[in-house]
Amino acid sequence: MENPTALTTEQITIDLLPQKFGRRGLIWTGLLIVICLIGLFAYYRQLRYGLIVTHMRDYASWGIYISNFVFFVAISLVGSLITAIFRLANIHWATPLTRIAEIIAVSAIVFAALIIVVDMGRPERFLNLVLHGRIQSPIMWDVIVISTYFCISLLLLYMPLLPDLKILLQFKEKSSKWLNKLYRFQGSFWKGTAEQFKISERSITILCVTIIPVAFSIHTVTSWLFATTYRPGWDSTNFGAYFISGAFLVGAGGVVVAMYVFRKYYHLEKYITELHFDKMGKLVVMLSLLYLYFNINEFMTPVFKMKKSEAAHLTDLFTGDFAVMFWSAIIGGLIIPIIVLLFKKGRKPVPMFIIGIMVVVGAWFKRYLIVTPTLLNPFLPMQEVPASYHYYFPSWEEWAIAMGSLAGCLLVITFFARIYPIIPIQETITEQHEKH
Amino acid sequence: MKNTKKIITAVIALLLTIPFSSWSQDSSKKDLILNLSYFMTSNNAIYIMANTKTKIAKKFTPVSGINISLFLDKDSSTNFIGKVTTDKNGLGKAIISPQLKTIWDQSPTHTFKAVSEANSDFEITNAETSITKSKLTIDTLSDGDAKTINVKVESFNGTSWSPVPGVEIKVGVSRLSGAILPAGEEASYTTDSTGKVNAVLKKTALPGDEKGNIILAAKVEDNEQLGNLTAEKTVPWGIAVKADNNFFNQRTLWSTRFRTPLWLLFMAYSIVIGVWGTIIYLVFQIIKLKKMGVTDISSV
Repeated sequence: MENPTALTTEQITIDLLPQKFGRRGLIWTGLLIVICLIGLFAYYRQLRYGLIVTHMRDYASWGIYISNFVFFVAISLVGSLITAIFRLANIHWATPLTRIAEIIAVSAIVFAALIIVVDMGRPERFLNLVLHGRIQSPIMWDVIVISTYFCISLLLLYMPLLPDLKILLQFKEKSSKWLNKLYRFQGSFWKGTAEQFKISERSITILCVTIIPVAFSIHTVTSWLFATTYRPGWDSTNFGAYFISGAFLVGAGGVVVAMYVFRKYYHLEKYITELHFDKMGKLVVMLSLLYLYFNINEFMTPVFKMKKSEAAHLTDLFTGDFAVMFWSAIIGGLIIPIIVLLFKKGRKPVPMFIIGIMVVVGAWFKRYLIVTPTLLNPFLPMQEVPASYHYYFPSWEEWAIAMGSLAGCLLVITFFARIYPIIPIQETITEQHEKH
Repeated sequence: MKNTKKIITAVIALLLTIPFSSWSQDSSKKDLILNLSYFMTSNNAIYIMANTKTKIAKKFTPVSGINISLFLDKDSSTNFIGKVTTDKNGLGKAIISPQLKTIWDQSPTHTFKAVSEANSDFEITNAETSITKSKLTIDTLSDGDAKTINVKVESFNGTSWSPVPGVEIKVGVSRLSGAILPAGEEASYTTDSTGKVNAVLKKTALPGDEKGNIILAAKVEDNEQLGNLTAEKTVPWGIAVKADNNFFNQRTLWSTRFRTPLWLLFMAYSIVIGVWGTIIYLVFQIIKLKKMGVTDISSV
């Protein structure tokens, strides 16, 4: 922190208590609600008329919804990185970022699950997975691991929140009546006794240990949904590691964007300092290099061999219809961040925020590129099918639902930041005391 | 004036040629080649196969959709075998019905006649083929490891059956495709003066059915006098092969949910129980924290 000696317990508490929405906050929330409502209307149309309102057809049967699903799962992995891995490794500088990472993880995994149901077309058929599901199917593994990850992430969000709930209840006058009711319901039993802290600490450590393999599983299994299907571009043994490295990168990018926004909006400069941006910048460089390495692995060997069955798919990506998107995602989402963040000036808050957005947007398009071009280049050539089957561009309903889900995810994070402290108050106070 | 007369004459001449040109178009119908083949399987099932083809660009091409009426010995309603329509391979098959037995028994030789219907491309075409009643029998001799297939060809002379020498026969083991795996190294054998061939089965260790049965077969193909004859005999000379009917009951990754591999069940449930056990433990820890808080309040 910039000037830690100047921070008293009272000041930390006052600074970090949740704040009411200002004008900008209300506009932001209203905008997100409007996007969500448009998405809901589009989903109503999809339910009423069926998946025909989308532009998914026999070949491109996985489109923007599945790209969005993979994106959500990827970004949710940040919870395990910032909270669990850093906590277990005793990396204390990341403490102010843990709650941001955890709420991103929880909201993203919720919308990952929802978007899969949207993609099913007939949501009531989800029950068939329970009634007739086969444990041999990677789709079943995905359902199990997503629900498990959601529960662990929720616990990891809740347990460290308990001491802060006690603080929130001490400042009743700062919150509305119903919020106080909510705080009481969730944490009135927390008295902050040594024994309670002991149990809580042990539980958080257990959660941190548990969430890492589950987080790795969730994205590995998601990658296996593709890799266990014999198609150009997916037939890879590299997919698990490729997906996880990409997930950590987009998660870190998401945290960078969120920490900049919260820092600016809630004036948290004393808590989310330039040091945090500098360290997160270095982390993003490392993760970008790692993801670049797996990208080279993923594309270099097939390009070198240029098997006839895969040539059309690779050509489509490198010089064909998807070339602009592909190179934009690689250069904008990987190469430029590496170059910019290698310099100290590049790791300042504003450039970091821009780079964070580039990483996240690049990652979203990268997921689209993993899903769609492969489906449009099957091993057996498309013959005697309608012209519309040969290409895919999402319909307005698909865009509306996808954007609605992204807005929904941001809305959950926004409401969370309104209700709870976005930086752990108790942990910040404790660390302050330990330092001085 | 002279020119006008010339033009009128030319027009009249042209008009006069129209009927002739129509006629010449009629005469441009392609030639249909119609062949008949006689088949007898296991000395009882008899059928006639009509084969139609035509020459297009110097190549023989099967003709489909040709209606052909088939007769036994003479073109009359009592001798009518049946009407067939050729398929895409130009083939049409008619089985000799039991109603024709009286006519069949009257003579040791018979002539099959075929008359195709005319259509827009082809004129009426006739064909016939004659055969002598015959039979093909298989006998076997097994002496230790030596296994011999004895095949005999006989024809009917009106009163009795007599051997037919000089007939080329394929002898061997019937394959699933209908072809014959030769018994020895020769592709075919020729009957001797007694109408017999003796073929030693040199192929050993052939897979059979569940009881080790294989089907021996003898075939006479396109013989001018006898037609096409086939005879089969089942013998226990093969190796018993037990069919794997248990495939769908096996535990595999592609089976139903009730046939999940045990290793996968063990792994999946171990992980699920391990992780969810931890989650449940942690929920109990929260309950414990709650109780501690409530106790503290009551003690105060």
